[in-house]
Amino acid sequence: MKPVILKVARSRAGGEKQYDTFTIDPVPGMTVLSALFEVQARYDNAPAFRYSCRGAACGTCAMLINRIPRLACRTQLAALVEGKLDLRLSHYTLPELTGTWDMKNEVIIEPLPNLPVIRDLIVDMSTFFEHYRDIVPVFTPGDPDPARERPMTPDAVRELGKYTTCILCGACYAACPVNGKNKHYPGPAALAKLFRFHIDPREKEGAARLATADRPDGWWACEFHTNCRMVCPKGVPPDKAIGQARQELNRMRKDKKGDRNGKTGTSAAGDTGGRR
Amino acid sequence: MADEQEIHEHDVIIIGGGLTGLRAALQIDRAGISCAVISKVHPLRSHSVAAQGGMNASLANVPGDNNAQDSWERHAFDTVKGSDYLADQNAVVMMCKEAPATVIELEHMGTVWSRLGDGKIAQRPFGGAGFPRTCYAADRTGHNVLNTLYEQLVARKIPVYEEFFVTSLVTDSGSGRCSGCTAIEVMTGKVHGFAAKAVLLATGGFGRIFSRSTNALINTGDGQALAFRAGAVLKDMEFVQFHPTTLFGTSILISEAARGEGGILLNKDGERFMERYAPNSLDLAPRDVVARSIEHEIDEGRGFEGGCVHLDIRHIGADLINERLPGIRQIAIDFAGVDPVSEPIPIQPGQHYSMGGIDVGIDGQSSIPGLYAAGECACVSVHGANRLGGNSLLETVVFGRLVGESIAREVPSVAHPSRGPVEEAVREVDGKIARLLGNTGGTSLFPLLDSLKETMWTKFGIFRTEAAMQEGLAEIRNLKEQFRTVSLADTSRDANPVLIRYLELEYMLPLAETVALGALGRKESRGSHTRLDFPDRDDGHFLKHTLARKTGGGISITYGPVTTGMFEPEERVY
Repeated sequence: MKPVILKVARSRAGGEKQYDTFTIDPVPGMTVLSALFEVQARYDNAPAFRYSCRGAACGTCAMLINRIPRLACRTQLAALVEGKLDLRLSHYTLPELTGTWDMKNEVIIEPLPNLPVIRDLIVDMSTFFEHYRDIVPVFTPGDPDPARERPMTPDAVRELGKYTTCILCGACYAACPVNGKNKHYPGPAALAKLFRFHIDPREKEGAARLATADRPDGWWACEFHTNCRMVCPKGVPPDKAIGQARQELNRMRKDKKGDRNGKTGTSAAGDTGGRR
Repeated sequence: MADEQEIHEHDVIIIGGGLTGLRAALQIDRAGISCAVISKVHPLRSHSVAAQGGMNASLANVPGDNNAQDSWERHAFDTVKGSDYLADQNAVVMMCKEAPATVIELEHMGTVWSRLGDGKIAQRPFGGAGFPRTCYAADRTGHNVLNTLYEQLVARKIPVYEEFFVTSLVTDSGSGRCSGCTAIEVMTGKVHGFAAKAVLLATGGFGRIFSRSTNALINTGDGQALAFRAGAVLKDMEFVQFHPTTLFGTSILISEAARGEGGILLNKDGERFMERYAPNSLDLAPRDVVARSIEHEIDEGRGFEGGCVHLDIRHIGADLINERLPGIRQIAIDFAGVDPVSEPIPIQPGQHYSMGGIDVGIDGQSSIPGLYAAGECACVSVHGANRLGGNSLLETVVFGRLVGESIAREVPSVAHPSRGPVEEAVREVDGKIARLLGNTGGTSLFPLLDSLKETMWTKFGIFRTEAAMQEGLAEIRNLKEQFRTVSLADTSRDANPVLIRYLELEYMLPLAETVALGALGRKESRGSHTRLDFPDRDDGHFLKHTLARKTGGGISITYGPVTTGMFEPEERVY
């Protein structure tokens, strides 16, 4: 493979941003993360970055690669320069790059947007995890614990699996135009997590779970750009969760309006919500 | 140091935010005792998150052959036999008895286990097990369980010092107790002190001292090294598990579940070679057996180009692969460009697990009062010379809880630690880091790191000999000398990953030496420790634990008894 030039954004909290370039001779299969380690070993002015599992399981190394949020460990240099990973996100406005970008030879690496930079490629994830905590991500069964497991159908597990696979890497948060303009929007990952608890048939919270984000800045702020789903390294569809949550909330409102006795809808959302 | 010192006080400090650390924190918090978790990464980035295959428990949700019923006794027998009889049987009994309730408790906390048609938790066969005993959440079991436990911590608002790298343990010279630690806040570079009545190490394994490892890059044995430096005993460090099936080239784990679900190993002649090595258990023999068999095939020229064999799961079919092995499929596609639905996966053995670790009793107490350890960084020992798949996740939660309980029992009677020794330790570490960052023009860190990893893989890998290991030991000692002359290219105090990698290598070097000395001293083959010059197990001389401790000039190796009693050692045939 021909050499690849990494153009890496450098900055410290609150400071000016500049781009440094590092030339790498890629071996077949080389990922952006291994290229960054190569830079760390060979260059004195290597950028700072986070890492852990290097196998797309832990969600640590999300960064903006060729202007798309991706996991560095899962993204191959060859695929980038060959243009195989080109992706167009909806209404995604990043600050213009200064200078030229030779896409066949250069890979641009920047920190995730929508979160403050600490140093170089490391961003402060506190806001992201505050949103996670705000949706109260803890299993709340409706009945006392039985002696054995609460039974679940394989179908229910399959539906939950769409959301439990989220690794909280923040790629969706960084790709979401709404998160870019609204600090109060929990973002796709937190809402998908909330929905995961809502559709857990062992929970009996029903509508109460959905109410957690039933506000203009919550479920209702999503604009369905579906960037979240496009960039998710695990195939989680937060847009689907949000759409279903809104449908259920709308239906509950309608039921409530139409019911003169004042009873809320009796269809236990938790049992069926995920399969509509 | 111009800044004011920051000393935090908690009754219990837990170092490590993986499954063990989080489960222990939960137990201690439930007992009404204040605790905090310190982790060098966000807890959800811990290596536990990458655990794939599952957790063993004799729930007996799936019947065995001839409709036989699983039991904790059978689980214990499989574990002890798998350990090549080096496990302490009282600890194994404890773990296997606790296993079913442990899995159920996690289910009650919200873990989404895979299910059978009847709604019960699904179980599948794993290597070295006589029953389909491994409970799983597809092939993302660690991820699911870690998220569950982290959610519990969030709900209880247990403090977590995220991205704090622990730099030393503090021992009170008066009482001899471990009374806290120091840690560098990675993003600012500030050194903090922590005063506590008890410290629990739950930092995971040291796999990254080997060049080929399935472990997360952060698995550098920090806890073992901290304990060793503080004077604690390390046990059975030579027993390093090599997993048979890691992805060729990147060593990313391809779970044993792939074989549990029916996957088979093939050499370049298309031969199912495990028929020759383990005629009964075949591809589901224990990991040490399968890893040796693969390595033997490759050495004999029956591997594919570059040194690998094939793991074929095509016959399982796309539907079942997507249902039970979706992560494996994605890993093979992402990292090897191979879709296992239509092509075999190229695999090779790689370092996977550290059976050895900090010598602790069944209550998690180390040889230093007030210092506890559990999980992979500890050695109780439940795995002996070879761990069975599905037993490590089990160990983390069982012993996380049990050690949490024993700490909660001890702490109320422990006097409040004095801050003096902690303040002194902070000054010391701060000065050391300042001096290091002030150095320039020294040796580069990374060639030493690469050399250590390569030495460990080539000299202390699957097959070991006296001559190669002596060379390896000399090289480790040489690297220790060179390490003194290292200076860093990045001399920033804040958010400096190179500084952390330096501190990690400082931990890895003495651990490598204990592995080397343990392996040289053990003149037999047992479990994962295979000596070509001593091919047989020698119960007469070596049915005992290796104990390594720091002495004035170096490292001393002694031996300690193995607790047996329930199962007599016999020949291990699969």
